[in-house]
Formats: sequence, structure tokens, C-alpha cells
Amino acid sequence: MAMDQQEGVEEVERLVEMSWDPITRIIGNLGIYTKIDFANQRVAECHSTSSLFRGYSVFMKGKDPRDAGFITSRICGICGDNHTTCSVYAQNMAYGIKTPKLAEWIINLGEAAEYMFDHTLFQDNLVFVDFCEAMVKSTNPSLLRRAKTTEAPNAAIHGKRTIADIMEAFNPFEGDIYKEALRVSRTTREMFCLMEGRHVHPSTVYPGGVGTMPSPTVFTDYLSRLLGIIDFFKKAVALNDDVFDFFYEALPGYEEVGRRRILLGCWGGFQDPEVVDYRYETMNDWGKAMYVTPGVIVDGELITTNLVDINLGIRILLGSSFYDDWAHEEPFVTRDPLGNPIDMRHPWNQTTLPAPQKRDFKGNYSWVMSPRWLDPRTGDHLALDTGGGPFARLYTTALAGLVDTPYVKSTGSSVQISLPKGDQLPETVLEWRIPQWSNAIERNRARVYFVAYSAAMAVYFIEQALARVRGGDTKVFQDFDVPDEAIGVGFHEAVRGVLSHHLVIRDGKIANYHPYPPTPWNASPRDEFGTPGPYEDSVQGMPIFEENGPDDFKGVDIMRAVRSFDPCLPCGVHIYLGKGRTLKKLHSPMFGASHG
Amino acid sequence: MARIKVGKPDVAPDTTSHVKGVRQGNQRRTYRWQAGHHKDGTADARRSTGVRPKRENPILAVMPNLPPG
Repeated sequence: MAMDQQEGVEEVERLVEMSWDPITRIIGNLGIYTKIDFANQRVAECHSTSSLFRGYSVFMKGKDPRDAGFITSRICGICGDNHTTCSVYAQNMAYGIKTPKLAEWIINLGEAAEYMFDHTLFQDNLVFVDFCEAMVKSTNPSLLRRAKTTEAPNAAIHGKRTIADIMEAFNPFEGDIYKEALRVSRTTREMFCLMEGRHVHPSTVYPGGVGTMPSPTVFTDYLSRLLGIIDFFKKAVALNDDVFDFFYEALPGYEEVGRRRILLGCWGGFQDPEVVDYRYETMNDWGKAMYVTPGVIVDGELITTNLVDINLGIRILLGSSFYDDWAHEEPFVTRDPLGNPIDMRHPWNQTTLPAPQKRDFKGNYSWVMSPRWLDPRTGDHLALDTGGGPFARLYTTALAGLVDTPYVKSTGSSVQISLPKGDQLPETVLEWRIPQWSNAIERNRARVYFVAYSAAMAVYFIEQALARVRGGDTKVFQDFDVPDEAIGVGFHEAVRGVLSHHLVIRDGKIANYHPYPPTPWNASPRDEFGTPGPYEDSVQGMPIFEENGPDDFKGVDIMRAVRSFDPCLPCGVHIYLGKGRTLKKLHSPMFGASHG
Repeated sequence: MARIKVGKPDVAPDTTSHVKGVRQGNQRRTYRWQAGHHKDGTADARRSTGVRPKRENPILAVMPNLPPG
């Protein structure tokens, strides 16, 4: 016994506590607290914490349900439209209406522009800072030396001769890819505004339709902008493949960075107007018709693509969160419209009871709850992640084999994406194949492929919408009444992954409203069963490849792992080095430094 | 409800949703108020202009009506 204790003390001494709070290049409320074993170059323990309480579910109560889309849009400053869209889906179900077909194409086009905008901005301007020449020089100088002599296999497409040339182009503010990506972000935002009125809080998306005037010009304006940037996307895929393949090759074992069990969730995106009627009873059918297939993946196997099953399996657990349990509160929904029992821990029945308290890593340490998905086969509460969004979307779409359009095809093991001719590059077919691992590199790689996916789908949506307009269809809105009593659920894909809005209406007002965006899934703390959330899980036990020791440690591998999940923008890094010493660094690049 | 202390709200939670007398976009029979929109989902030039709209309509019945603007 005494010896055990002795070993325990030694164990603690070997570990160095390192914390990043807030994590930069995302909105500044996420903290990662780790214990690092420098002798063995591994992360021993990790806790993910959020210091921000939002309370949307608290103050939505009693409001007019028609306002929900406009209010919940403010949840996020970069993907607010995803919330509006998801809220509109939930309201359509509650009001018993559907969006006119032309309006559905318009929403799909807006959402496709949002994916292209947000993924490009995050990947090229924020993720690549971790892979740029300046960063690699200060963390892994030997890797940079090798990059300078390694030819880039896709040089013919992107025009960068060596891997180091690509890394230099990633350098913030100076590199040409960094600057080009900013220009592309501007164009994609314009495309978004053509469809949804305003970025990022849409002004023309409502339950029952849109307020966008469906003139032919709106669609041709969108298409001409898209074709102007389509070559950038083709180059981006080639660049990403080169850099990420180089990391695997030059740093053997790098696949372990940010690796976790393959547990993915995707709630589906881009409705098919010919099929969707927003009725809960037919949700399985219209869910499967979506142009991004919803699904749950466990250990590389597709468990379900049925949105009803997905809905029934959602559980919101506590365990390490600053909330009181709502088990003794009145349930709002005991049976769904199909007669299936609804659990007390389902979002429809959740009552948010905030209980502010001191952060304690042995007890409660986060404002994020622990959403889990109950596996009906095993009874396990799975901590699904979204793989930053694209990874899960491509994974489920590839495995399900349901998407078949002229521009995007799912083969059962891959997704083929066909991009039209641009001003420099010819028509290009890209193929995303299901990778072996769920790790940081593959999450990042999937992101650029999904930009291409959105661009290809957008071409299809334009064709469909223009065909309707040329046929004389101009209907983009339908009347509705708000019922006194109703329930609704919306399933959508926010840019960084699964998004659901659960709505209960009583007396014509909101009785309960619970938005579940991707970050509660990804950043969730340990639940009541002790299961760590995806960030914690993927960082814990991860090897460290950085060449710096504890004194000038930057934690770039840990940052790559956490940022691969696309947590959302930023200011300073505070590194706590144990023994009361805190290192404060201001990190470049930064958005909104003045807010820091 | 939660044990956290909050202030007294200045307005009722649904105050902003409607001002009396202002037409709501989702009220019944809106087609009556929206000139140029037809119930079958089509529209005519009156949707876009009030200045001699009939002259902007298609010249043949087989043509789709794409109102200007």
C-alpha cells in the first residue's frame, strides 16, 4: 500500500500540467486542461471545459414560436443560418406545413454557400496556421527541412513545387493561399446573401418559405460567382492531400494525433423538395432522400439512417456539468407522433436548471452538458462526435449509398464529386474514400472535400431551381396558422456537424425549445457513466511530436487535434506550466483582438 | 425553474412578435394583398411593377411568365 502511494507521487511529478484557456481561433470560451508526460511524449489526461452559459432554452420559453428562427440564429456568429434553417424545419413540422419546392432549392443553395464559406475560412485561415511554415519551423524544424526537399505530388494542379512551398503559402497574412482564401470567403458570402438575404443571420428564411424573389438573375448571379471560384476548390483539395499525406509519411505514427474510436453522427442536410413533407410520420423517408444522408456510425459500421431512430436515441446526460437534474420535472412529450415512448433525458423533455458553481475537475467543470446517443443494440450511451462536420457527413453519405445526382454520387465506400470546368482547370472528378482512422488529419482532409461536395451540389440545385423558374413557378411561400398545441423537431447539419432543434408549443407559445448544435456533442465533459467527451477522448493518450520541451512548448499537436473538430474565433493563449508559472502569449493571427 | 436570479422583464416575452394593425406575412388570405402573385404558384408582371404591367407580360401564351426584376 505504501509503495503504491510512493509510485503515485512519482507519477504525478513526471506529469506537467498544461492548459489552454481559452483555445484560440475559436470563440474564446473553450479551455483544454491537460497533464503531459514529457518523458514518454504523451498526453496523460485531458479535460475540456466551457466557461460560457448561454441559456437559450431558458429564455425561449413563452416566446412566439415564429420568432424562434430569428432568435436562435444568434447562437452562432458564423453559422447562424444553420440554426434559422433548422428552426424552420422544426416549425414546419409543428405547423404542419412544407416549404414550396422552389423555396427549398433556395434554402439548399444558401446552405451550400455557407458550407463553402465557413469551411474555407476555417481551413485556410485558421487550421492551416498550425500547418504553416512559420509554425512548423518553431515546433518541428527537422520536419520543415524535409518538406523543403519533398516534391509535391499534385504540383501540376496547384503550382507549388515542394511541400515547404505549400506551407509558406499557408503563412498568415503573407502566404498567397491565406490571402486567396479570404477573397473566396467574400465571394461565397455574396452567394449566400443572394439566397438568404443577409449573412450570417438570414433575413429571408421563414417557416413556410423564403422571402427571396426567385428571378432568373438571382440564380445566374450565384452560378457565375461559383464558377469563378471553382478552380480554387480543385486546387485546395490537391494541396490538402499533399500536405496531409506528407505528415503521415514524414512523422510515422502521426495518425494517432487526435485519434479516437470511430463514433460519428450526422443528422443530414439539403432536403429533397420532391420528397420532404416535414411530417414526423414520414421522417424516415424524407431523411433518406436528403442530399447528405443522416446516420450514426459505430466502429466504421452504419447503424442507422433513420431519423426517427436517431431522434429516439438522443439522451442529454449530466455528470460534470453545472446544472441540476430535471428528472423530477414534468415531462412535455411522453410519446412521439408514431407512439414511441420519449425518455425523460430526451431534449423534448429537458428543463434547463443552471446551477453556477466553482470549477472542479474531480466534480463538475463545464457549462456544456453531455449529449449521448443510446445504441439500441447494446444499451451503451455513445459519445458521438461530428468529425468537425464534413468527416461524419462524407462517412455516412459514402456508406449509405443513397445520394445519386449527376454531380455527387455515393458508391458505398466513397463519394465521387464532379466539379465543372473553371477558367483554368478542366472538369475534375474527385473521390473521397473512407479512411482507416478517425483522427485529426482525416477530419481536416474531409473538410476540403466537403467544400467541393457543396460546390458540386450547388450546381445541381441551380439547375433544378432554374428549371422551375423557367417553367413559370414563382411560389416561394405558403400560409400557415400557429397551432395551440404542437411538437416539432428539425434535423440539419450545422457547418461543424449535427444540429437538432426540439420544439414544444403550448397555448400558441413556446413551452420548451432545445437547440443541440455540434459543439455540445464534441466538447462534452465526462458524463454520469464517466465516459469522456470527444475532445477529451481524442487528446487523452495522444502522442506528442513537437520537438520543443516543457519550457518552450507550444502544444501544436494538441491544438491540431482539438481544432480538427472545428470548435468556432479568438485572442490570447494562456499556458499554465504547473508550479504556479503561467506563460501568456498573444497568438497571430487573430480576429477581433480588441475584444480579447 | 432555475435557482439563478434574473431581473424583472421590461416587456412580455412575446411583445415584439406583432404590432396591432400591421399586416402579418403569414396571416390568412395573403394573396389578396400581394399583387401579381397567383394561387397556383405563378406570377405576372404586376408582381414587379405597377407601371403598365400588362405590357411586361409574355407575348405568347406558351411562354412562362417571368416578371421583370
